[in-house]
Amino acid sequence: MVETTSTPFSSFSFKAIVDLVLYFPLFSYLFGFFQDFCIEVMKTGPIPNHVALIMDGNRRYSKAKNLPLKEGHISGAETLLTVLDVCYRLGIDHVTIYAFSIENFNRSQEEVDTLFGLLRDKITQISEHEDSYARFNNVRIRIIGNRTYIPPDILADLERAELVTKDSKHNRTLNVCFPYTSRDDIAISMKNIAEKVQVQEIPSKDEITLQTLKENNYFGADVPELDILIRTSGHTRLSDFMLWQANFNCMIEFVDTLWPDFKFFSITSVILKWSYYKTLQIQQFEAQGIKDDEDRSRKMKKLMELPPPPPIASVSQR
Amino acid sequence: NMTSSKLSDHVRNDNNTSTSLVDISADVGPSGQNSYQSESLQHPPNTIRGKTWYDVSRDLINDFRHKQMDESTSAYSSIIFYANHLVLLSLFFMISIYKNVNYLYRKMVLKFYTLTYYPNKSPQLIRDDVSKLAKIPRVISCILDLKDDDDENGGIDGLIGSISELAAWTVSAGIPHLVIYEYNGVVVENKGNLAQLNRYISKNLAAYFGTDLIPSYAIRIPHHNTVIYSSHTGKTQVNSAERDVDLEIWLLSREDGKPTIVELTKTMSELAQNNELSVNDITIDLIDEELAELVGPEPDLLISFGPSLDLQDYPPWHIRLSEIYWEPENKDVIYAVFIRALQQFSNCKVNVGK
Repeated sequence: MVETTSTPFSSFSFKAIVDLVLYFPLFSYLFGFFQDFCIEVMKTGPIPNHVALIMDGNRRYSKAKNLPLKEGHISGAETLLTVLDVCYRLGIDHVTIYAFSIENFNRSQEEVDTLFGLLRDKITQISEHEDSYARFNNVRIRIIGNRTYIPPDILADLERAELVTKDSKHNRTLNVCFPYTSRDDIAISMKNIAEKVQVQEIPSKDEITLQTLKENNYFGADVPELDILIRTSGHTRLSDFMLWQANFNCMIEFVDTLWPDFKFFSITSVILKWSYYKTLQIQQFEAQGIKDDEDRSRKMKKLMELPPPPPIASVSQR
Repeated sequence: NMTSSKLSDHVRNDNNTSTSLVDISADVGPSGQNSYQSESLQHPPNTIRGKTWYDVSRDLINDFRHKQMDESTSAYSSIIFYANHLVLLSLFFMISIYKNVNYLYRKMVLKFYTLTYYPNKSPQLIRDDVSKLAKIPRVISCILDLKDDDDENGGIDGLIGSISELAAWTVSAGIPHLVIYEYNGVVVENKGNLAQLNRYISKNLAAYFGTDLIPSYAIRIPHHNTVIYSSHTGKTQVNSAERDVDLEIWLLSREDGKPTIVELTKTMSELAQNNELSVNDITIDLIDEELAELVGPEPDLLISFGPSLDLQDYPPWHIRLSEIYWEPENKDVIYAVFIRALQQFSNCKVNVGK
């Protein structure tokens, strides 16, 4: 598997040259045009319905650049807005992000407070005014997770953001998993179902199916199947995120770049890869479908169409 | 005629066979050997393999022929749409060439690994390889694919061969638990397959360790709550059904994943309805305890022996912190992939809490 290496020549890397060129407004204007063109091209092919992101690598980024930890998280938040914008422009309606894990409470109180504050600020920023990103682009914000862990003042701000973005005409959704672990999600689903059976909202235990379990977790019933799960910073684990959704028919992509470095071309190359394979899969299914129909009609008559065998003679008298 | 049917009844009774005809069609599988591929498993798009660049070109041309725009708008935007789509398809074409080259490169690398990491059925060599590592997992889990009968290492025989090899490597490495996940569960389908598996594991361990004293092992099938002990297991413990063994092998299939969680939910709901269990007692710890009992331990390292990562509906509860490893473009259960997975595991830093 690919190992991450940091070269001593990273200041002369391709990325640094690109950053330097884009500093000039003309080039960055042209680059914006090029990005728009890329998006238009990709929209003509298959586009996933639901993408999930594990935004890992803020701390390593700030350590590598000798910045305070808070700067790493702030860069991460900026990258998040870029990535979200690209996703929505491509036509991906549902984006889920792993903002905070229940296990993250093990970190220092200072970092936890920083993360909570940053998250609240960003979410308020994109939903506060009429022309804020989420409201202007009809993105519905949903907070997914165990709300008992959120302090009341932050919870109030988040719930307000949810309410204000609720009627989204385009069905675009941003699911912010905060604080979330997949086990907690599955457990709450089982608990909700047991409660419903107890009050007879579900008539009997025999009505409980896979679908029931899928519908009664924090996400709810109207979330489409997960198509792509991306984890940055190279770790090859799921870390208790969307285990139920990611283990079936989902492309899991472990990317070596750190989250703050995960920019336009990183996200578009992952989606392009998915789109490429999906095109092949669609063609395969169509060819298979035609072949199945042909096979079926051919085999049905095969035995009957054979010429009659010669008369049977046997040594036995029965 | 009355006397003859009475005589054959006696013969049947003497052979302990039933005197009336018994239909066992349901027990011997759906419609024969070749339909083991369960239709309900869908593979994510990135698992498509075997497409050369000319197959891909044909697919891309078909795609362009059948392409339709979502909304019918002006002629100008149609032209732009199809022009953009052509650009996309050319990009795809270039990707397919790159993938072909990459595939050849990966196959070459795999051949190289097979030569460098060759344990030659020797536990000492495997233990030497493992001693260089900082840490090894307690529970290692492998996702295996049942291949077609005409493929190399295909059919049930190939699968049983792979499991036997994995058992030998795991016990040589000193790892106490091996979990085998195969989507359809063909090995546990009937006692015949299990007997064959048990025989082959013993045979393979004898090839590695010599026929005098092979390591003891237990094959556990959590879904049926059954266990098979190898012959020569040690002294029995206080509870005569439990014994200490050198290697625990767990056999899982699709049923041990989400369906078991559904069953657990049904039981909990029933108990809640009868007021035998409070809904507030349904916590992560309780569910964890129950699923450990019903499905087995959480793997520390999960190895997929396919060319791309496809979890194939592996029990979701158990993989929350598992380190996941797969070797790109690899289709076989080879030692090189096993040891490289262990190497990655020993290098990874686990902070619970990201």
